[in-house]
Amino acid sequence: MLREADVVVIGSGPAGLTAALHACRNGAPNTLLVEREEELGGILKQCIHNGFGLEQFNRDYTGPEYAERLISDLRKTAVQCFVNTLVTDITSQRIITALSPEHGAVQIKAKSIVLAMGCRERTRGSIGIPGTRPAGIFTAGVAQRLVNIDGYLPGRQVVILGSGDIGLIMARRLTLEGARVAGVYEIMSYPGGLKRNIVQCLNDFDIPLHLSRTVTEIRGRERVEGVVVSRVDDALRPVDGSQEVVQCDTLLLSVGLIPENELSRKAGVELSPDTGGPITTETMETSVPGVFACGNVSTVFDIVDYVAETGVTAGSCAALYAGAGPHRDRRPVDIVAGENVRLVFPQRYASEDDLTLFIRAAEPMERPVIVEVAPPGSKITRPYARPNEMLKVKIPRSKLAGVRKPIKVSIKEK
Amino acid sequence: MPTEKRHFVCVVCPIGCEMDVVHDGVEIISMEGNRCDKSEEFVRQELIEPMRILTTTVRIRGARWPVVPVRTDRSVPRRLFTGIIRQLRGITLQAPVKMLDVVAGDVLATGANVIATRTMPRE
Repeated sequence: MLREADVVVIGSGPAGLTAALHACRNGAPNTLLVEREEELGGILKQCIHNGFGLEQFNRDYTGPEYAERLISDLRKTAVQCFVNTLVTDITSQRIITALSPEHGAVQIKAKSIVLAMGCRERTRGSIGIPGTRPAGIFTAGVAQRLVNIDGYLPGRQVVILGSGDIGLIMARRLTLEGARVAGVYEIMSYPGGLKRNIVQCLNDFDIPLHLSRTVTEIRGRERVEGVVVSRVDDALRPVDGSQEVVQCDTLLLSVGLIPENELSRKAGVELSPDTGGPITTETMETSVPGVFACGNVSTVFDIVDYVAETGVTAGSCAALYAGAGPHRDRRPVDIVAGENVRLVFPQRYASEDDLTLFIRAAEPMERPVIVEVAPPGSKITRPYARPNEMLKVKIPRSKLAGVRKPIKVSIKEK
Repeated sequence: MPTEKRHFVCVVCPIGCEMDVVHDGVEIISMEGNRCDKSEEFVRQELIEPMRILTTTVRIRGARWPVVPVRTDRSVPRRLFTGIIRQLRGITLQAPVKMLDVVAGDVLATGANVIATRTMPRE
């Protein structure tokens, strides 16, 4: 059965919900939101802590409240939602194949598509920890799901590897639920998560954070019995003789997130080796005309407000595309990472809108810095640059009129 | 009164301003590093009694999931977290529950209500 839609949004987390809402508000009432789980909301449902929407709504929501607000806004629009629906294929001609118990196998021809599939967690396999393979090893997000949705405590004596935000949040959560968190171990010399999470999730509960340390062996036959942690040198190699055994029955991994782009690849979307997500312009359009992307499928953001911001852009621009079709003389210029910049998003500028840049520093600089964007030669001052806190700068379209050369973004000492 | 220098990280918003504060145990004598007034209020409160929003879950019967997420509707003293959680362990809700429904009123005489943070229909 072939259906038709103006805009099809894939994924109903914060990016997808926002994109669907804004597609509808910008002239695409025939918008379809497709979600593979049984409920809308994506990862927000299990993020029961507060801190969501401070910038966007000036309110301090928990994840479920934030989701419910967006969903109730969405229910007031004409947007149609398919839940329990798994998208299995997207073509570059924007034909989507999806499977669901309710609708069977469906094909949808979309005028434009918004990719909002989010990201997934890196696992033990991605970082290759030696040792046995007992029960009791979880990624932080899986543990979060078990505790907050399934009401199940995954362990009593916990070690957390990696200081990403989900790991920090889970250190507090498990402590409140009565588990003992022996410590958080971070291979880098600086924490991965936001500073405020170090304070309110670790310091508040006297949970130690050990920097420049990693787990070098997992022990235990049936169940985890302990881990060996080692100090690492500047090249991140374990230092001989620094090994220490930490008793635990559970190891949580908070060792990074990877944008989930299997579908993007099928659609022929060009991916960035830096972000792991689609290369997009400031309108969030990918290299395939009419296919847009937003949120953590594009690049892993620190806070939901940034995710939603890209959702607003992708949804509105996808609606415009569905109405007016492609821009004929679109010749975007590249945006490239310069001095002390690990990645910059978006990666292209198509002269269609103001340019909002999200920038991740390569190395921490704990002093005032200048973010230089050239052309046009804008210099923006920030009090510091840290790899764990994305910098956001906005360059007005008027300053970029007629830009032909690649735009270089650098973080320099002030 | 003797003064002390202490480093604070504001947790009011994700910016997380870092501040060097000189105080006498009760009042701020000087502070630098904050970008807005909220941080000053935060530090003043930290000196008296650290206050936080508590988020956790409560058991529920008759719903799709066995637990429903909850929060305190205002900040409560952090030292009372364990006591509030213990009180909430004794509660089992019956579906349906609507977002913002009061799960426990005036917990441990803090003046804060514990409220549901999502709607859970009866299944």
